[in-house]
Amino acid sequence: MVVMSFRIPSTSKPFEPGFTLANYIKALTDPYYLNVLRNTVLFGLVTTIICLALGYPVAYHLARTKSRYKGLLYAGILSPLLVGVVIRCYGWIVILADNGLINDILKKMGIIQSHVQLMYNYFGVGVGLVHVFLPFMILPILGNIQGIDPALEAAARSLGASKIKTFLKVILPLSLPGIQSGTILVFVLTISAYVIPILLGGFKVMIMPTLVVQQVLESFLWPFGAALALIMFTAAVFIIFLYIKIMARLMKGVV
Amino acid sequence: MEIRKIKPDRFIYLFFVSVVYIFLITPLVIVLVAAFNSGKYLAFPPEGFSLRWFKHFFQSQPFMDALKVSLKLGILTMICVTILGTTAALYVVRHAQKWKNFLRLIMISPILLPAILTGIALLLYYYIIGIGTKTFFGLLMGHILITLPYAFLNVYSSLYNFNRSLEEVARSLGASQLKTFFRITLPLIKPGVISGAMFAFIVSFDQFPISLLLKGIERTTLPIQLFDYVRWDFDPTAAAVSTVSIAITLGVVLLTEKLVGLDSLRW
Repeated sequence: MVVMSFRIPSTSKPFEPGFTLANYIKALTDPYYLNVLRNTVLFGLVTTIICLALGYPVAYHLARTKSRYKGLLYAGILSPLLVGVVIRCYGWIVILADNGLINDILKKMGIIQSHVQLMYNYFGVGVGLVHVFLPFMILPILGNIQGIDPALEAAARSLGASKIKTFLKVILPLSLPGIQSGTILVFVLTISAYVIPILLGGFKVMIMPTLVVQQVLESFLWPFGAALALIMFTAAVFIIFLYIKIMARLMKGVV
Repeated sequence: MEIRKIKPDRFIYLFFVSVVYIFLITPLVIVLVAAFNSGKYLAFPPEGFSLRWFKHFFQSQPFMDALKVSLKLGILTMICVTILGTTAALYVVRHAQKWKNFLRLIMISPILLPAILTGIALLLYYYIIGIGTKTFFGLLMGHILITLPYAFLNVYSSLYNFNRSLEEVARSLGASQLKTFFRITLPLIKPGVISGAMFAFIVSFDQFPISLLLKGIERTTLPIQLFDYVRWDFDPTAAAVSTVSIAITLGVVLLTEKLVGLDSLRW
């Protein structure tokens, strides 16, 4: 308990005696930092949407499948979680690098002459982020769909609803809570990711966590780094708050 | 007729789902292949089997030091967190009255806050109280903080379905409080305790942001060492390191499976 309690005050307290708003003013007026903040949030949103689009069908499949390989598929989804993020990034580097697997295959097939730039840009970072955080999207939705009685689907179908209509009117609304927790989790993780942007983005993709660590570890501008971190955190909380409000309105009609 | 109509979109759906499964598993497979591949770059088709990257890894002093630090850190974290998490969960479930939800929220707050913020906060705090990043202790505290929620949640959920009359029976038959705990309570919540410990070890072993900020100059952990290496050099030594690290994690998971079964895990 004691260990927990000191975290928050220590962030907000400037390292030097006295208090100042200068750090916040600097962070919030300089177009460079604002730009990084905007990029971070946009990037987080896009990653979250892609994760949802990829993760939802898989969650649904895994929840409903009767395949005997279910355990294996489940392990396949969990396995990235048990392997360190640096290792997963390294895997992507091997695949995406200029002399990596994809470029190698494409060259041998004669499709391209010189290599295609697949990493050290937003694409590479995006691939890495989606891969690393996809399980966090799948698991909550999976849990949620497993809790929906399949009889509901059968009832809707037997009453004459088409497959798509059943999905839109029955399954989707009932799985909104799972979607909500999955998306929030992925969004928070994405905007606070540090390793992936550095390894797969080089120094060309600058987003908030990279910037904060750079300020703290390399420039030793602790108060400024802390201010940036808190701004990021506040922005994230604000966005999530907004999102929960919207979702609550959506879910009101259903439950 | 209708069944035939459904088939093509069912096929597209299954195809899409399999692509995602493959996407999830690919990097891991690639790392494993690269580690045993003899070539400097992973090309298609692979060039042949070789263990030379493993040899390279085991002969590299920085990597071995980092591995030792990581293992020591993981095991110490696991022990501390298991004790702390179990006692905290016991207290919150059994004795906390109106503060129950609040205490629970505090206990899991380290996973709600991005690890990098926790790391920065701890770093600033360590400098203010004057220990800085010089001590192993500071790093250990950071790891304990970040893994505590996992142990707590696992024990918490196994205590939830706990039948307290078993304890009362033991007490009424004359067992001391301590004896009741070790003979009745602990064996019954064992799955939660062990899976919590496993999580703590794995999270600590793979932990990155906290270690990066708190490690100090004179010691480094395996993920950090790997990160520094991969930043400048992609050679398959990194793949060998990854494979060893995956093997250790897998070993822990299998051990847990053997001891308590993986069904008892709580995410």
